[in-house]
Amino acid sequence: MVKHFYSFIVETDSLFLEIDSLAISTSEKEHLKSLAESHIHHSILDSIMSELSSDDKKLFLSHLNTKNHEKIWNFLHERIADVEEKIKEAAHKIKKELHKDIKEVIS
Amino acid sequence: MADRNSNTYQKLRDKWIAKHKDLQEAFWARHGDTVHEFVTNTKNFAIGSVSALMMLSGPATNLLAPPHSLAAVETKLPVDKSVFLVSDLSNVIPRDVRPLTNEEESSVGTILARDFGFPVAAEFNGIRLNRSYGLIGAEQHLARYPGDSMSSHFGNEQDAVKFASSGMAPGLGGWGYFARSAQEMTNEESDREKYYIAVQSFLAPGFAEHTGEYIKFFKFRKMLVVNPQNGRAIVTVIGDAGPAEFTGKHLGGSPEVMRYLERVDGSGRGPVLYFFIDDPENKVPLGPIEEK
Repeated sequence: MVKHFYSFIVETDSLFLEIDSLAISTSEKEHLKSLAESHIHHSILDSIMSELSSDDKKLFLSHLNTKNHEKIWNFLHERIADVEEKIKEAAHKIKKELHKDIKEVIS
Repeated sequence: MADRNSNTYQKLRDKWIAKHKDLQEAFWARHGDTVHEFVTNTKNFAIGSVSALMMLSGPATNLLAPPHSLAAVETKLPVDKSVFLVSDLSNVIPRDVRPLTNEEESSVGTILARDFGFPVAAEFNGIRLNRSYGLIGAEQHLARYPGDSMSSHFGNEQDAVKFASSGMAPGLGGWGYFARSAQEMTNEESDREKYYIAVQSFLAPGFAEHTGEYIKFFKFRKMLVVNPQNGRAIVTVIGDAGPAEFTGKHLGGSPEVMRYLERVDGSGRGPVLYFFIDDPENKVPLGPIEEK
């Protein structure tokens, strides 16, 4: 999986373990993991950008483009209160939905 | 049991793709203007740095059709979709052309499956080739049926002009003729020759011990071949064995495959990724393919 600036605070193991437990092929599991990762990524970026002004969104994109995680975090800490918690919350919400989807499909 | 398992994957995949489209729509509705303006005004960014930028719309964006309501916005973006693939792959594959590690293969497989919309892997049913990333060389056309020659090989004058200079191999492909006769040849059989690759099946781990099983597995097995430097991808079949180890090349491509991938033989040769396609129902068509 790609390492994102938020990877160290967003746990995906439990979701991926649940995908791994499905009786499907390895490549199918990888495909689902990729989709799940993208869901999480979208949700996190959406939660961050929803907290920023139009100009700050552009600055955030500039930092994101550099892939300098330290700069990204410095910027986010300056602009968004409790940014880590907001990221965790966004990730938690989407992961919960994905877990629920898995349970519904296999039941 | 197999049907039920396959159903599990399909149901979940379809559900998540639909959900992802909703996420995309919501994202673009809220931030599309800013993202579009930013990308439009960001000139000359390096390929390697685009991956973070493309994350704006998510790593799996290319897996999905653009949201209908926002298609116009997305098509305005000055970044070709293949740039995203090139960028993602550049973060995973090594600078030197060596066999990928299991972890690298897994990451590449994930990216390719995500972008092209079907499962791919370096290993299926415990069978794998000697490598999944290597230097590709040019092969010649193969006789598709008894009597096929350079004068009968091309469907139109344009193809003849483009590809005749490659010539026809003196021997047959690894599996013999592709069809019994010109009259009986199907489009699929013709495409198999057009889009064939030669792989070093004889170097596959376990080949000597399970030759019959491996040959059956490799025969016309579909593979996705990707030029990681330009993002061009093509669905091929294994049509021959080769090249020999001493050539320094790791696989070969038909003239049509090489041309599409923009790969050449000789000193200018370059690497490609080649992964098995999981296509039990034969739904993935042969030939050039673009990201979804």
